[in-house]
Amino acid sequence: MAIYTVGRRRVIFVLLLTCALLLTLDMRGNPVLDRVRDSFSRVMSPIESATDVITTPLGRAWNGVTEYDDLERENQALQDQVDRLIGTQATARLSVEEYQELLALLSLDSLAGIPTEVAKVVGASSNNLDQIIEINKGRSAGFKVGMPVVNQAGLIGKITSVTDNTAKVLLITDSRYAVPVRVLAAPEADSIPTNTNPSGQTNEELEDLVATSVGPPTTLVTEVLDTGTTLPENNPNAVVVADDDTVFTDPAAPGDEVLEPVVSGAVAGPDDLTDLVVTTTTTTTVPTLAAKEFGALEGRGRGLIPQIRFLQDNPSIAVLQEGDLVVTAGGFDSLAPPDIPVGVVINRADRSGPGGPLLDVLPYADVTKLNFIRVVKYTPLSEVEQ
Amino acid sequence: MLAAIWQGPFIRLIPVGMVLLALQRSLFVEITVNGVVIQVVLALAAAAGAAAGSERGAMAGFTLGVMYDMLEGLPIGSTAVAMTLAGAVAGLLAVVVADPQWWLAMLFTMLGAAVGEVMLPVVRLFTGVDDPFEPRLTIIVPVVALAAGVLSPVFVPLARWCLRIKRAEWMAPPREPAI
Repeated sequence: MAIYTVGRRRVIFVLLLTCALLLTLDMRGNPVLDRVRDSFSRVMSPIESATDVITTPLGRAWNGVTEYDDLERENQALQDQVDRLIGTQATARLSVEEYQELLALLSLDSLAGIPTEVAKVVGASSNNLDQIIEINKGRSAGFKVGMPVVNQAGLIGKITSVTDNTAKVLLITDSRYAVPVRVLAAPEADSIPTNTNPSGQTNEELEDLVATSVGPPTTLVTEVLDTGTTLPENNPNAVVVADDDTVFTDPAAPGDEVLEPVVSGAVAGPDDLTDLVVTTTTTTTVPTLAAKEFGALEGRGRGLIPQIRFLQDNPSIAVLQEGDLVVTAGGFDSLAPPDIPVGVVINRADRSGPGGPLLDVLPYADVTKLNFIRVVKYTPLSEVEQ
Repeated sequence: MLAAIWQGPFIRLIPVGMVLLALQRSLFVEITVNGVVIQVVLALAAAAGAAAGSERGAMAGFTLGVMYDMLEGLPIGSTAVAMTLAGAVAGLLAVVVADPQWWLAMLFTMLGAAVGEVMLPVVRLFTGVDDPFEPRLTIIVPVVALAAGVLSPVFVPLARWCLRIKRAEWMAPPREPAI
């Protein structure tokens, strides 16, 4: 074997420089490299499938040996949770349905009108740094880079790369993940939403993953006038008419913002209202979750819970505290629509200076155990206008 | 030219690397030690260095790293830098001894794998990731290095086969005819 020489060192330097060149090209976006990557993924696909079939029993055997005790403990904890949730299931179901109806009637932006697609998790990150999963659908299913990904519990991440039949999802625990969020005051009765666990509920019941909580009751009376046509969800031209005495309270709006009753849209004029018939009068209880503050939720890596930064704590408005709920804020540039449940604040750390406090957020979704997820085919408003 | 490709190291290294990559993404994601994913591809890169020296080890590491980046959807070159260095560092064994014993090869494979694993967040830092150093890096690096050491008795011969390296044969000098 030859000894270590200057010539050999030169080869290593050339290889490192090649790496730097490839890195630069790829990070600036190179279609040739993208095509090579796609082709390599396609070539690897059958090999991975075969390997998966062969090694699945080995993996299961290993997990059976090493994780039996954890599984037993988890099973007991889940059973307790199921018992607790059975009691609140009916209330939660009703709340979700009514909340969806109200959002649609008031033409509010929510997941109600956004198409979603279910995909299966087929792989996890194979290194110790990234928090990325791979799903079994990609470009052919209409997925694009940046689309938010949720499961029945709440937000779990966003798509960062797409091939024809697969996509990579960056989880909210990854240190590169950031999303604008809103901190809401927790309901007094229970700091944790009662319908955020999938136990006992079907996909249809939590179709759009809008979490509501049982909070201090507020009576909301709406009178819906039926024009004889169905009001489409989130249609800006939808006609909503209310008496002067009626006040619509928007459960998703920040603060105690009150939506004044207005006649919006130009579909129906005064003449059209003559033959309107009052068909329903609904009285329902909706949660009042006061928005306290906006901030940016950032992941911190494997095993660490995400944090919210860029908060300005203003005690005269509200005090940020443990138990506060966190939902996506939406906005013009945000990749996620508003009001996707994210998690609950479990710790507050004050910082000196103008940075504001740091909030530790326990995500509703357990990103370590994902099987089926739902990709929200949401396009940010900034891109829609382009 | 075709013959050169056929007889070159990559004709064996690439398919072996593909199988290891598939294993890395299926079996070794499940089989974790204290929550740490064992890096078999990195172990092969380091073993290639221990078996064939710095130059070929770096080339093997580069090839495996580029394949890894392409399949994982990472920026191409980010893992390749780490694996190139892993192969090069493990290849320093050639400076110490010409025909290493298995335990020396194991030691240098561990060293190479440790350097490669440490380099991963360093490269991320240069690519603009904020604070890529995991708090668990002090656990991750020893576990990955130990796993590479455990795998080295298999991976060093495998790397030798991939790179077409033959073990040095020591021959006794011809006897002088008696006068």
